[in-house]
Amino acid sequence: MSAFADVEVIRLATRELIPVCADDWYQRRRRDAEGAFFKKIYEQSPRRGAPTSTKQGIYLFTADGELLGFNNAGNSVEAVRGLIGNALKKFKALPEARRKPGGMIVEDFGKPDPQYSRSPPVGGAVVQVFSRILERDGTKLKKGTCDFVGGGMPGRDFLWLTSDEITAMVPQQPKLGEVSAMPAAVSRRLARFHLVDNTRGEPAFWEDADVRKAQLRLTVTKLTPETIEWSCSGEVLLATSADVTQADRGFEVRLSGTLRYRREKKVFDQWELTALGEHWGSSTYTKEGERPGRTWLGLTFQLVGTPTPAQTVPPQAARDFNRYFGRD
Amino acid sequence: MNRFAPLLVLPLLVVGLSAQPRTPAPEPAGISAAEVALVRSLVPPGAGEDQFASIPWQVKLWDARKLAATEGKPILLWEMDGHPLGCG
Repeated sequence: MSAFADVEVIRLATRELIPVCADDWYQRRRRDAEGAFFKKIYEQSPRRGAPTSTKQGIYLFTADGELLGFNNAGNSVEAVRGLIGNALKKFKALPEARRKPGGMIVEDFGKPDPQYSRSPPVGGAVVQVFSRILERDGTKLKKGTCDFVGGGMPGRDFLWLTSDEITAMVPQQPKLGEVSAMPAAVSRRLARFHLVDNTRGEPAFWEDADVRKAQLRLTVTKLTPETIEWSCSGEVLLATSADVTQADRGFEVRLSGTLRYRREKKVFDQWELTALGEHWGSSTYTKEGERPGRTWLGLTFQLVGTPTPAQTVPPQAARDFNRYFGRD
Repeated sequence: MNRFAPLLVLPLLVVGLSAQPRTPAPEPAGISAAEVALVRSLVPPGAGEDQFASIPWQVKLWDARKLAATEGKPILLWEMDGHPLGCG
């Protein structure tokens, strides 16, 4: 991903190209017009072949489906600049009538494959999640260091809430000081799928049985005709064994936060949580750079207002949509 | 005293005990305000850590196709195993 942090690559992507990103897990499986089009593209590349194998990489192509260049992920900035440069040369060599604005026709999409198409729940909310390894230095906390390249950088994800869950958080007749529990579906989703170490690769999620404790308490702290505000405090214990001392992976974490709801608009305009705790263990794709023993991991949760396209990337765990929303 | 008196009293005791208010669960500890502020200053991307996010990424290939056709530009697709913007 570091190539996309390069100034020249950013300039080219922003001004000369239409940049799009996708999770290959969905794209190579979907059976709709988008899946068919993506197959048309990768069949022109070294990634051709059965959809069971990864199609990960950087592709450049025309709107009507001609591949202009491909490179695997993880290449140098120079390689990516070269890839883009060569693709732009090929594009500019196309007949002007074809490459000019409006010169290529894009057919109707039709219906998306419901199994592999994802969008944020209508009337729901999108919450940005960041994670980072931390270290204690005496009584101070600081950013952690990691042998794995990029492991000291923030992990990113999104948490999705449904409109029903938002409604369930709001009492009919709120009272100052009133205490309630975060709806169980939200607590479980947060615990199982977002209190994870995703800083070095795709994390394993927690099974339902791994959730040894998930206590998130809401207290009404402020009431106005326009708003309801809560403080949130929580404790979550996740461990792959009932005997926590024997668990090969676990996370003992505390949370605090503030939520605010706009009564007339029936939406949250603040949904903010902070989590800090000791994590241990790793999983298949996060072993490299694992720090031994119990180490500090911090996470922040922040409501996104009106999401940009990039902020509608589905949660990593949403591949199993029913499990993510607790319908399993 | 009626020899059955204990048998009569016992259920009342049980009912009485079960009617006692339960001790409320202790409030979860949470994190101090100072630690919240510190974690929120450390965890999210800092200066120079979010450069790639300045690219105006689309997330639906069909939307990208339509834009590319309208604007007369090629498409750059970053296809990743996992959250495509999961790491910087």
